[in-house]
Amino acid sequence: MAERLSGRHVLLTGVTGFVGEALLHLLLSDVPGVRVTALVRPKGSTNAAGRTAALLGKPIFAPVVEAAGGVEALMAARVGVLEGDLADVPALPEGLDAVVHCAGDVSFDPPVDEGFRTNVLGTRDLVRRIQELDDPDRRIHYVHISTAYVAGRRRGSIPEGTVDHDVDLEAELAWGLAQRRQIEHQSRSAFVLERERRRAERAHSRAGMLTAASATEAARKEWVKRELVRVGTERARSLGWTDCYTFTKALGERVVEAHAATARVSIVRPSIIESALVTPHPGWIEGFKMAEPLILAYGRGELPEFPAAADTIVDIVPVDHVVAAVVAVLASPPEVGAPAYFHVSSGDRNPLTFRQLYDNVRAYFDEHPFAAGDRGAARLPDWRFPGAQSVERLLSTSERAHKVADYVVGRTPRSDRARELARKLDQQGRRLEFLRRYLDLYHEYAQAELRFSDAHTLALFESLSPEDRERFAFDTAVVDWAHYLREVHCPAVTAPVRRMDEARRARKRNADLGLRPLSGAGVSTGSTTTGSAVAAFFDMDGTLLSSNVIETYLWLRLREQSGSERVTELGRVAARLPGLVRAERRERSAFLRAVYREYAGARLADLEAVADAHLTDHVLARLSPDAVRRIREHRAAGHHTVLITGAIRPLTRPLAPLFDHVEAAELAVDDRGVCTGYLAASPLVGESRAAWMRQYAADQGLDLGSSYGYADSHSDLPLLEAVGRPVAVRPDVPLFRHARRHRWTIVDWASSTSTTRTLNPAGDLS
Amino acid sequence: MSRPGFVLEVDDRTPPLVVHEGLGFRLESFPLGTRVVYPPESIPTVPDVEEAIREALLHPHDSEPLPALLRPGMRLTIAFDDLSLPLPTMRAPDIRGRIIEQVLTLAAEAGVDDVHLIAANALHRRMTAAELKHIVGERVFRSFYPQGQLYNFDAEDRDDLAHLGTTDKGEDVEISKRAAESDLLVYVNVNLVAMDGGHKSVGIGLASYRSLRHHHNAKTMVESRSFMDHKHSAMHHSAWRMGRLVKEHVKVFQIETTLNNDVFPRPFDFLQKREWEWSVKDQATMLGVRRGMSVAPLRMRHRMFHDLRSVYGLTGVNAGEVEAVHERTLQKVHQQHLVEVQGQSDVLVMGVPYLGPYNVNSSMNPILATCMGLGYYFNSYRGRPVVRKGGAVILYHPLNEGFNQLHHPSYVDFYEEVLAESTDPAVVGEKYEQQFAQDPWYIHLYRTSHAYHGVHPFYMWYWAAHAMDHVDEVIWVGADRRVAARLGFRAASTLADALEMASGTVGSSPSITYLHNPPHLLADVR
Repeated sequence: MAERLSGRHVLLTGVTGFVGEALLHLLLSDVPGVRVTALVRPKGSTNAAGRTAALLGKPIFAPVVEAAGGVEALMAARVGVLEGDLADVPALPEGLDAVVHCAGDVSFDPPVDEGFRTNVLGTRDLVRRIQELDDPDRRIHYVHISTAYVAGRRRGSIPEGTVDHDVDLEAELAWGLAQRRQIEHQSRSAFVLERERRRAERAHSRAGMLTAASATEAARKEWVKRELVRVGTERARSLGWTDCYTFTKALGERVVEAHAATARVSIVRPSIIESALVTPHPGWIEGFKMAEPLILAYGRGELPEFPAAADTIVDIVPVDHVVAAVVAVLASPPEVGAPAYFHVSSGDRNPLTFRQLYDNVRAYFDEHPFAAGDRGAARLPDWRFPGAQSVERLLSTSERAHKVADYVVGRTPRSDRARELARKLDQQGRRLEFLRRYLDLYHEYAQAELRFSDAHTLALFESLSPEDRERFAFDTAVVDWAHYLREVHCPAVTAPVRRMDEARRARKRNADLGLRPLSGAGVSTGSTTTGSAVAAFFDMDGTLLSSNVIETYLWLRLREQSGSERVTELGRVAARLPGLVRAERRERSAFLRAVYREYAGARLADLEAVADAHLTDHVLARLSPDAVRRIREHRAAGHHTVLITGAIRPLTRPLAPLFDHVEAAELAVDDRGVCTGYLAASPLVGESRAAWMRQYAADQGLDLGSSYGYADSHSDLPLLEAVGRPVAVRPDVPLFRHARRHRWTIVDWASSTSTTRTLNPAGDLS
Repeated sequence: MSRPGFVLEVDDRTPPLVVHEGLGFRLESFPLGTRVVYPPESIPTVPDVEEAIREALLHPHDSEPLPALLRPGMRLTIAFDDLSLPLPTMRAPDIRGRIIEQVLTLAAEAGVDDVHLIAANALHRRMTAAELKHIVGERVFRSFYPQGQLYNFDAEDRDDLAHLGTTDKGEDVEISKRAAESDLLVYVNVNLVAMDGGHKSVGIGLASYRSLRHHHNAKTMVESRSFMDHKHSAMHHSAWRMGRLVKEHVKVFQIETTLNNDVFPRPFDFLQKREWEWSVKDQATMLGVRRGMSVAPLRMRHRMFHDLRSVYGLTGVNAGEVEAVHERTLQKVHQQHLVEVQGQSDVLVMGVPYLGPYNVNSSMNPILATCMGLGYYFNSYRGRPVVRKGGAVILYHPLNEGFNQLHHPSYVDFYEEVLAESTDPAVVGEKYEQQFAQDPWYIHLYRTSHAYHGVHPFYMWYWAAHAMDHVDEVIWVGADRRVAARLGFRAASTLADALEMASGTVGSSPSITYLHNPPHLLADVR
């Protein structure tokens, strides 16, 4: 066979992909006479030649590279590079003998326009370029790599031939390409936007409207992505395909078949391609394919069931069989006008059922469990194959339960338990999302009771000489599944994960939890150098001390009242509480205004006197020692310390010596010095804090990027986002989630829970 | 009449004995042969308190009667001990208030109108208005507090400090300017234990850090053997030198009072009885209290204990020249507290109660508990320590009360930053004392809030320096292990475990002495 191909010039697309790379490797190492040109797309700043060189630098190419005397020498002698993209195929080099098209979108759920662009449009452009070169004397052999699943939702035995359907290719193509534009348009409609905005505002309005707005925009983009996938899948199913991938692949074959009328064309349809059986080495695999996420999830104990029947066939082929078959196909070009079809599959003659797959994977993990966690090996679920419906029921029940729990946790008062719960829920949520995505995706394949006949492929194999059969093995009947799964595939797939787990564990061991000490600060001394570029911004209530505006309000007002007045006042405030809590959820500034309204009629001077006389103790007793230490550490390090709070000015007075600047709310007074119940200026909450900080930083010459921010609640998000080093202090659940997602430092500054703060030797204070 | 203190030797008829441990107590069965030191029962009180006070003021020792010292137009300052005395707080009326009333009456009769009342709190926290009111009484409070003539001493108010010079040992004497520049300084004390009073009253109670640092340090404390015995206490020697210097500048009229041992009011009086003499009622109360405490949350137990007010009886009141008065005072204190103990033992066991001088209306944080056990109780000896050099000390306290952020802010940092680095009193003093003493934030809190001075935790640690130097092993029974470790000690869950742990130091059958206080006692070790 090597002789038959000797001196041929083959163009390869998709060499940077899994199959393309394997094919290039096989051609270079086992078909010495062949010359290859690779169509490679430049990526980022790396041009096509650079990418090819990098590809050839991989370990599997080491022997060929060494034999050729280096990557450059190998490229000069045997590997040409054609820079270009399937979206705009360049003119092909003269003197081509064959083209192998392995490039394509391999994800099962591409956005519909991308599916059409790569699988249909890309193929058509490539075919047109071939037709430009084709002349009757020297027919270019076009080998098209498709997938066995172009058969769609058919059942039973599938012959190696054209797929029978009468879909209007041009109409579908036009529709598919138009979808992005259309859905982008649609996403901007009031109908979609209003829903997303309401949702975002419910979650983020406390932080401010701009935060809510950016969340809305992110949600819109997410919606576009989802919608593009959804319409593609729907269209595919309405025509009898499982998803957009197989649908566009099938349409791609139609393009090829049209070309076949006047050219030599072979179509190779592998089924599910997995790691190599023998070459380049057993278990060789690049990236994760179809079954790997499921195998890994199972090994971690996170895949409780699978919606397949125990006897359904999983059609898996090792990648080296696929590329060997492609080389054999290359060596035996068909006649013009008679396209040849080859299934590279295992299900017909060497079927692997889900039950066997499960047993072998389980046996593998029983022997080699994932043990990187700190809680020993994961418990492996027992699959009973209860059928797709009960799996779906299980999943949707879990999803509903998760949703309810999520709602509850989102509204629980902050506590360590709530945060821990939120963390667990998020983990569970990620697992559920994973399960939902993969089960939806593979549902169709798990149901596919297809048997791909591979008679042509077998005939091709048997036509080879015994040496070739050895060297270019692609008879899938020889695969011993137990051996392949347990000894080859699973070890290969789990190896990188084990390495990653190991690395993560090492990282965790070395991880410095909590706050890092500030440079240049030993035990705090309280000395300050002004004019430094770094600042530390602190929120007050909840961050520095465990108190809130309602509590301080009561402290202030109850002082001046008699016993019965106090009871009335307490009752009145208690009655207002639900409304205030609602306001707090909605918008922090509205809440503050509502509370400060209660100060109407009080004399500011009296309030200040009471604050000075009594609230100092109230504030200082609730102060968190860790917080104070941190502030002092900042000062010792020469940082500029700033307190930003929605609380009224008198309450901040006990803390004033700790800060270079205190930004607090001011109560407005009339000309008699009586509080009007309004504020002198809008309260500094949410985004206005960030705006104020930027202004302040500009005035003081501070560098926000290297500054610190400390806050405790979701409404402080803008404050934290404005600085380069945000720290969440005993955060509420939404902020906790945000902080974890963005890897912010989370600290637990416990306030003094002293039992004694209200005790007094002589009994009542007043 | 009252029975003297005695040393019980535990035999097979001895019932389990009360051991205090923070906000609670336990009944502990001690190994046979353990010596248990019981304080004397309450000695007789004066028949009429008002009469006794008047008698003392009119017939002072080595001094003219108080009326003779008073004249119109003079500056009179009355200083008094703060809330760290007595322990627990005395049920109203406080003896200091009763004395101050009489002094003020005499002053009014003499036509004195420039009177200031200063709480001699040194670097202790400022007392609240209510706490001041409790000490001086409603009437005095009402007449002086609103005018600003009744206040806490502020050791950081540079304008109100007077440097009187240095002693022959080069020690600075700096006290309240108002007191130093008064024509007469009357000091009203409560001499609860032997370390109080004498020249310590003015010389320490009204002094600033600049003055205190000369005797409040690790070296002096290691050399105070013990600070309950002023004749053998380096700290007191220094205070005495300073007191004599003060005497050259201002006339001090010292009034010292002594109290009996009625520490626990009813129904908790069973705690000061000997266990084998408990009546059925006592036993029932004890069971009820224990059951209640086992289910009560910490906060409630805290309230229950800290709301206790002692019904102390006055055993004596003496006035006049400081040293003459103090000698008589000590006689009474010794009569009430002294118990003769024959020889040292290998192990000393002490229960740290819920209250010490620095956590009145506050919480007994781990540093204060250490100070209470290794400072006050360990030093409750005359002659030699109860435990031999190189022996072991076993303390009972859960060390779980945390810190009161309002009262003890510098303690938290001392615990988190200083103790994390070293627990050696000399080392931490050398390295960090200045920094804490001069920290503007702590000074701000001391002056404006109710915080102990920044340097105060160091003093607590120095208090324990003698004990840490003397014994090789300190084990806390029932304590939080992490806290004990931070303090540089070990924790055990039971006495048996603690003895097991100590066996490396003192062998497997050590001699054990348990100091059964409170009520207060002073072991006279022969």
